[in-house]
Amino acid sequence: MSINGNYFAGVDVGSLAAKSVILKDGEIFATGLVPSGVNSVESGLNALNLALESAGLKQEDLTYIVGTGYGRVSAPYANKAVTEITCHAKGANYLHPTVRTIIDMGGQDCKAIRIDQDGAVVDFAMNDKCAAGTGRFLEVMAGVFKVELKDLGAIALSATDTVPMSSTCTVFAESETISLVARGEKPENILNGIHHSIANRIAGLFSRVGIESDVFFSGGVAKNSGMKSAIEQALKVTIVKPEIDPQLIGALGAAVIARNFSKKEGLWAA
Amino acid sequence: MSVKTLDVIRKRLEERPDELRRARENGLKVVGWVGYNVPEEIIHALGFIPVRIAIGGDDRLVEIGARYASSKTCVFIREIVGAFAENQDPYIQQTDILAFDATCLQNYRAAEVIEYFFKKDVVVLAVPRNFHLDEAKEYFAHEANEFTRLLEERAGAPLDSARLAESVALYNDIRKTLKSIYTFQASKDNVISWEEVYDLIQAGDLLDKREYLSLLTQTLDELKERQHHPVIASDDGDCRIFLSGSLIPRGDRKLIGIIRSVGGRIVGDDLWSGILPHLDLDIKEISPAGVALGYLNRTPHAALPYLDLESDRRLKKLQERLSEFKAQGVIYHTLRYCDPFTFKAKETKNVLAKSGIPLLEIHTEYAGSDYEAMKTRVEAFVEMIKIKSEIAEEQGVLVDA
Ligand SMILES: Nc1ncnc2c1ncn2[C@@H]1O[C@H](COP(=O)(O)OP(=O)(O)OP(=O)(O)O)[C@@H](O)[C@H]1O
Ligand code: SF4
Ligand SMILES: [Mg+2]
Repeated sequence: MSINGNYFAGVDVGSLAAKSVILKDGEIFATGLVPSGVNSVESGLNALNLALESAGLKQEDLTYIVGTGYGRVSAPYANKAVTEITCHAKGANYLHPTVRTIIDMGGQDCKAIRIDQDGAVVDFAMNDKCAAGTGRFLEVMAGVFKVELKDLGAIALSATDTVPMSSTCTVFAESETISLVARGEKPENILNGIHHSIANRIAGLFSRVGIESDVFFSGGVAKNSGMKSAIEQALKVTIVKPEIDPQLIGALGAAVIARNFSKKEGLWAA
Repeated sequence: MSVKTLDVIRKRLEERPDELRRARENGLKVVGWVGYNVPEEIIHALGFIPVRIAIGGDDRLVEIGARYASSKTCVFIREIVGAFAENQDPYIQQTDILAFDATCLQNYRAAEVIEYFFKKDVVVLAVPRNFHLDEAKEYFAHEANEFTRLLEERAGAPLDSARLAESVALYNDIRKTLKSIYTFQASKDNVISWEEVYDLIQAGDLLDKREYLSLLTQTLDELKERQHHPVIASDDGDCRIFLSGSLIPRGDRKLIGIIRSVGGRIVGDDLWSGILPHLDLDIKEISPAGVALGYLNRTPHAALPYLDLESDRRLKKLQERLSEFKAQGVIYHTLRYCDPFTFKAKETKNVLAKSGIPLLEIHTEYAGSDYEAMKTRVEAFVEMIKIKSEIAEEQGVLVDA
């Protein structure tokens, strides 16, 4: 196995999950995904070690590491920190060069990102410090209905009707949901309403930055098929089918940037 | 190496509240003013000591303020109200009279609340909405006379024309010197930063005006000695940011600190707590109305509506200054419930986009809880600009080989 400057890693420590991607000769070689703990240094290292183990590598084998996500500020293992906005842009562009718009839905943030043909960010917007309309919110809803998070989207898609959800705050939406259940509304119809209400909020975010095809959906919530479909309807677009787990896009972008940095170290150093 | 006069100014600021206290013991009166079109020269010429009350950044005071002003009041005004409720600010403690203007209706509201709850002696200057009409100017001239009359009553003497002329001359010198200093911060190999100039401008809200002018002159001399020909140009790797939007008063350094911490360099502003009020002030006639109209004829404050984008002098001024200071991006700061600036964010962004200048809106309040989220946005914006200029230079690290 050649270990001469061929391995680059990206580590994305988000609010809910830590992700890592190792690139070898420009190909995705290994990945890791763990829940974020209270200690973000540890979470990042856990994700990185998971990828290293599956690849049979040691940290010293890595030429350059870029840290991203909320944990980027405390990532002593990384050579450089880059924001997740720049990383998601680069990751999506790397997989799908025709992508011009990205929706990243993670645990606590939702981001609308516009990029150019080089994967450079042209404009972006982020939801304002509120968990409504993010992964955390959907987790709370899965808890209310006592269903698995991974099944949430499919349940919403099986709905025969859409029960509108008026609350935009996690706390209020939870109690509103409970009263809708008590009123006899079907869970799948309520869930459908929740997904559409989130999608409409995302459409609001895009009113600030605009939309251009192709559209990519990244972050853990992109695995929710109900959310994907609701967003497609709200934005009137077709979302590109991801080639890899969309939750890894930030870490992938970080790894690509790590590779670019090591080629021209210092050029873009702040 | 830092500019030595700035240290003197910092020290003088520390001593200032005590100095004001002594001046009041000797019979002088302090007028605290809050607003955007208060003609300070009139206050000064009447023998009052003018002090601008503009503080921010303290969430605790905002909470206190919310007990008196509606929670839909902008955080700046809520903090001011909170500060009056608490009465701990050394400058608020030293004010005898308050002068407000009604440029922004929230400011006007603060005057009412402070007068009502804290029994302060408040004078208010009315400001016309349709400021560009001749009738509006006539109205404003009339209001300026009334404002002066109310202050004359409190001064116990009429406004003397010769003294007004002296005050206007002094303030004109201050504005001119500030503008010269301002050029230095944006230059290549600058010896003074925008942040330092910003603090220097705000020091003028508090210090004695004559002393302030001499300190500014000293600062300028020092700068000229160290940097003969300041040229406004980029240094390598600069990310030149222009700051616009709602005011950022003393005490609030959250956004400014974040911009610097992620590698951005502020090179200009059009903030009402910054250089903007000092620009384009042309007093054509030495009279209360003449001074007041000079104020109103500056680039108008955002609370005064321009209904037509094409004639909007604010946008034109902003664009001029962006090119003068070679800015690469605008960070547009909007305070929670500051509608005058928040409503204009989108159109400003669209207008600037046409000339290829990106704009990032940062909507915030004085709580520290959004620090990380703000930092991510500002950092991504700085990255975006840096990458853009690298790609432009065809040496982009983000372009795959
Ligand atoms: N299989 C799945 N189906 C549906 N949702 C999922 C699935 N797996 C993860 N998620 C959601 O993804 C979210 C985490 O996504 P991600 O890792 O992108 O967030 P993060 O980067 O930690 O957060 P942020 O970017 O907001 O800081 C979780 O909130 C979870 O709800
Ligand atoms: S302009 Fe904005 S910050 Fe200033 S008083 Fe009005 S609402 Fe408040
Ligand atoms: Mg994330």
